[in-house]
Amino acid sequence: MFLRAIARPLMAGVKQTTGIVGLDVVPNAREVLISLYSKTLKEIQAVPPDEGYRKAVESFTKHRLTVCREEEDWEAIEKRLGCGQVEELIEEARDELKLIEKMIEWDPWGVPDDYECEVIENDAPVPKHVPLHRPGPLPEEFYSTLEKLQLNSKEAPPAVTSGESKAV
Amino acid sequence: MDNQFIFKYSWETLPKKWVKKMERSEHGNRLDTNSDYLFQLLCFLKLHTYTRVQVSIDICGVDYPSRKRRFEVIYNLLSTRYNSRIRVQISADEVTRISPVVSLFPSAGRWEREVWDMFGVSSINHPDLRRISTDYGFEGHPLRKDLPLSGYVEVRYDDPEKRVVSEPIEMTQEFRYFDFASPWEQRSDG
Repeated sequence: MFLRAIARPLMAGVKQTTGIVGLDVVPNAREVLISLYSKTLKEIQAVPPDEGYRKAVESFTKHRLTVCREEEDWEAIEKRLGCGQVEELIEEARDELKLIEKMIEWDPWGVPDDYECEVIENDAPVPKHVPLHRPGPLPEEFYSTLEKLQLNSKEAPPAVTSGESKAV
Repeated sequence: MDNQFIFKYSWETLPKKWVKKMERSEHGNRLDTNSDYLFQLLCFLKLHTYTRVQVSIDICGVDYPSRKRRFEVIYNLLSTRYNSRIRVQISADEVTRISPVVSLFPSAGRWEREVWDMFGVSSINHPDLRRISTDYGFEGHPLRKDLPLSGYVEVRYDDPEKRVVSEPIEMTQEFRYFDFASPWEQRSDG
């Protein structure tokens, strides 16, 4: 028991397995994550600054980057972010980089003048015997990103008001 | 409950050009888009960190004969990371060609073949577009509303020719249509 108490700080350094098939353990996960996030922050500069996409990506990437820089241990990173394992984070960061590259190539920014979009809020109650799909709890930084997005969009006048469609 | 947050988030982050209509309901969130932006939208949903939809559950079609663009191709997607489902819909007519999403979701190969077979909505540059559920020489697309329920041909084994032949359909009983307003027997005197 005392042996484990002494050895625990050392034991936390090595991860045996991720528990997910096909996802190997990355021993230097922290460095990989820091490099990926810094690259993401550089790449996202190519997106126009008003876009919700850019704000969202910057917000959560910065948060994750600060957490990764502060914490030395992968276990501490995982616990603080609450977003799953570091290998999953690496995968997400790589996918996000791919996505940014593709978005820059497709260039879908800007709202066309005659844009009208119908947002339907259907609150019709579902009958009780039908099983509802209840998504699980989302990570905390999702909510903080969402708040930042909504704050920013409320400052500028929104193009469409939700609940009604804007006829041209 | 969490449907709302994911809905709001996707509303804020998706480029506005791609989204024609969005619906948030307990029955399932829905996103309507244009066929030009389909591949890009699905790529975004697959790769973005907060909407990791990596599984395509189903691709199906619906035929609305009264509309000008009569078919609607519906992509049902699932995010295993966030346990959320989303439906992406596209309207198409008989000659529209949809971009295949097989490179994003490998399971989509069979679904797209089925949509082609049942409705006639084909894809550009699809790696393998063949019929999947109908018979080998079948003409027509079964799930369109203008193909009758019993079809046009029937097959039978012909003994003199020693093979299966298809002949125009012969029904011994005409099609019976039941339309009872009440489950009880109709009484004319009430």
